Amino acid sequence: MKNLRILVVLPLYGGSLPIGRYVASALKEDGHIVEVFEAPEFNSAYESLKSLKVTTDRLDYLQNTFLNVVSQAVLAKTETFEPDMVLCMAQAPLNHQALKRLRRDGVTTAMWFVEDYRLFTYWKSFAPMYDIFAVIQKEPFFDELTAIGQPNALYLPLAAQPDFHKPMELTSVEQRKFGSTVSFMGAGYPNRRIAFRELVNHDFKIWGSDWDGDHVLEPLVQLKGARVTPEECVKIFNATTINLNLHSSIQADELVTYGDFVNPRTFELAACGACQLVDKRSLLSEAFAEDELATFSSMKELLEKIDYFQNKPDECAMYAGKAKARVLADHTYKARMRTLIDFTTQRIEGWPKQIASPAALDTIPPELAANIRSLLGKLGLPENVTFDDLVWAVRQQQGTLSELDTAVLFLDEWQKLYSKRH
Amino acid sequence: MKHYLVIQLARFGDLIQTKRLLATLCAREKASVHLCVDRSLEALARLVYPQVTVHAIAAHGTGLKGSEAVRAMLLDNTNVFGDLKSVDFQSVYNLNFSPLNFRLAALFDSERVEGYAWKDGQELTTLWPSMAMRWSDYRRLGINLVDFWAGYCPDMIAPASVNPEASPKGGGIGVVLAGRESRRSLPVGTLARTLTTLASSSKTIRIQLLGGASEVAAGQAVIKELPPKLQAITSNLAGKTGWADLIDVVGSLDMLITPDTGTMHLAAHLGTPVRAFFLSSAWCFETGPYGKGHTVYQASTECLPCLEIQECPYETKCLSGFNAPEFQRFLVTNKSAHAPDGMIAFHSEFDALGQTYTSYAGVDKQAEQRIAFRTFIQQYLTGSGGDVSDFTQILADRIYRDRDWITQLNPNATLGI
Repeated sequence: MKNLRILVVLPLYGGSLPIGRYVASALKEDGHIVEVFEAPEFNSAYESLKSLKVTTDRLDYLQNTFLNVVSQAVLAKTETFEPDMVLCMAQAPLNHQALKRLRRDGVTTAMWFVEDYRLFTYWKSFAPMYDIFAVIQKEPFFDELTAIGQPNALYLPLAAQPDFHKPMELTSVEQRKFGSTVSFMGAGYPNRRIAFRELVNHDFKIWGSDWDGDHVLEPLVQLKGARVTPEECVKIFNATTINLNLHSSIQADELVTYGDFVNPRTFELAACGACQLVDKRSLLSEAFAEDELATFSSMKELLEKIDYFQNKPDECAMYAGKAKARVLADHTYKARMRTLIDFTTQRIEGWPKQIASPAALDTIPPELAANIRSLLGKLGLPENVTFDDLVWAVRQQQGTLSELDTAVLFLDEWQKLYSKRH
Repeated sequence: MKHYLVIQLARFGDLIQTKRLLATLCAREKASVHLCVDRSLEALARLVYPQVTVHAIAAHGTGLKGSEAVRAMLLDNTNVFGDLKSVDFQSVYNLNFSPLNFRLAALFDSERVEGYAWKDGQELTTLWPSMAMRWSDYRRLGINLVDFWAGYCPDMIAPASVNPEASPKGGGIGVVLAGRESRRSLPVGTLARTLTTLASSSKTIRIQLLGGASEVAAGQAVIKELPPKLQAITSNLAGKTGWADLIDVVGSLDMLITPDTGTMHLAAHLGTPVRAFFLSSAWCFETGPYGKGHTVYQASTECLPCLEIQECPYETKCLSGFNAPEFQRFLVTNKSAHAPDGMIAFHSEFDALGQTYTSYAGVDKQAEQRIAFRTFIQQYLTGSGGDVSDFTQILADRIYRDRDWITQLNPNATLGI
């Protein structure tokens, strides 16, 4: 596979935002030229519209207009970067008009819809507008996608980013702050609120938002229910003896719902080599063998296993070690992106476009090879990178550029201006 | 010591027209002025601007191809870029709207770059050149390019101190055979007739034809059409002059006959009187000879000034005035009544903004509007002058944009105040 140019479009905010960053990082790690559309930088302006105190129709107009500008910004970036693929994370700010334009221009688009399709139903309007639609659930979602005109659905479960989700040494201060015998990191969904009331007698910490109004759990909620950064999450995972991982549900009748998709925390905890207890999911067995993850299927079983692992730390560590090995082998974002790229190659005829472009190193005089090789090293590019991709990588740098960086950009533009003459 | 850099990657004429900006920077206290040019113009730049440090890079497309070009860009240019980066420039004036200039600006902090800058991979155009694009619909009014580039500096030196007032030097007539754009030059027959008239009426002792190697044949054709008496005193120097020779020749002339060319600007720089023929895309209020004592014969058909890149749909009718029989008479008498239709004759003058031209034959229909336009620009640059009229209100609406009003923290920031 050639090195691709991929534009990753992040959402304005939300759960798919960190995943988008892991995706960009993994693609770069695999030698692709990645440009990221930083939609979060537009979010504060979008939010500020809501404080105008204007009529709702006027606010609606302003919000749509603003999002259209953001969509146009994605199109402009696409026009300049000329990516092989525009890879959008769930809620990426591309409106219908922009998606139509990309299709008209023959730009391959993919959406990684890392949401629960039953709850986040807007996909019905947008899914057919993407060339590839990757999802974290299976049937009947696939049938529904086919029915509305999306034939290229791909099951692409979540994953971990091993250079970020990893075992780490904590200082004693961090251990005290983030550590406990049992902890849970996540939002206060109804099923979790009910379930965790049974754990109040444990050394138990709850991290994350949306736990307010629950007087029983309130003493256990850390940081006053503030959002926890991805960096803090990793510290919590590493500092906790037993990490609970109870998938969310908006209904509180069944605390363990046996839902289908596997949440990102499952993979992240595993990659950290952390001990976790996760509720059973219908798609979990495809990702982990029974001896790789400790699961529970009822509150009774959860309580029993907490007691069991507290007394059997070696067994806890054995599960953690196996889960970590499995994640590193099969469930990294790098592996997911390879799957996505392979799938796109199979489904989209003629993708990616093969443009005969020699490696940068092959086009320069030998006496300059050492300098260019050093530049490739600085930019983390493979030796076979094309000159066009080298130029873009140079352009991605921030601040003033070195003389060699500038000369590379200058040569590129010079060739565009004068190549027709030669 | 304060270091300033001017990046001028365009052609011969543009290099000379950068003079007022360079002279302004040189006039600043404890100033060290640097100039970056294409290497084909390095020798000329050193001759014309001896007080300036010249940095030469490979930028033009001529004479370079294949691995030689790559070597020049990556090896030679890298070395020069390193030199430029090693100087702590107070300001960088990057003058040309070209992708090459944007890339070169990547060496410098964008906050210090005027003109065409680069910030974290994004091309940026500062306010002054952006405004120039907005008044492109008013080309007939115009501001001289010399003054436009000097306009980056609010302390620009007086226009009269840029070039010496033109006066005959005793060495006869020089003739520039053609400009870079053939449509802007007089055809051989027209040029020979005009030369014959001016040479005969001035009783010149010597005629020197100037141009590049590609104009040797044109020179021979002009000589062929001259009367024998003039043939005898004419030498065809096309392709024979280096930069130093050209400066020597042009600096010795009584008069230079020329279309809008680099040699014309060199003559103005040296104080040699210019008789310039402006037609097609050449418009004297944009690129006319700088200084006092020059004459411009400006074609004035309604379609002018046109764009070089577009084909002429009117069979170059702007040439008709130069081909009219009465033009030869007018060259001698300079009487308005003898001027052909479709032409205005101008003498070069100054106003507060810089170079302008006053008609002495033909009707300059835009004269009044031009004064208003130039006053408007002068007020923008210096805060002085200006009034309110219907036309200045139209200009304000046309030239000032929402984002200037809304986002420009300091309206003079791009002017270096």
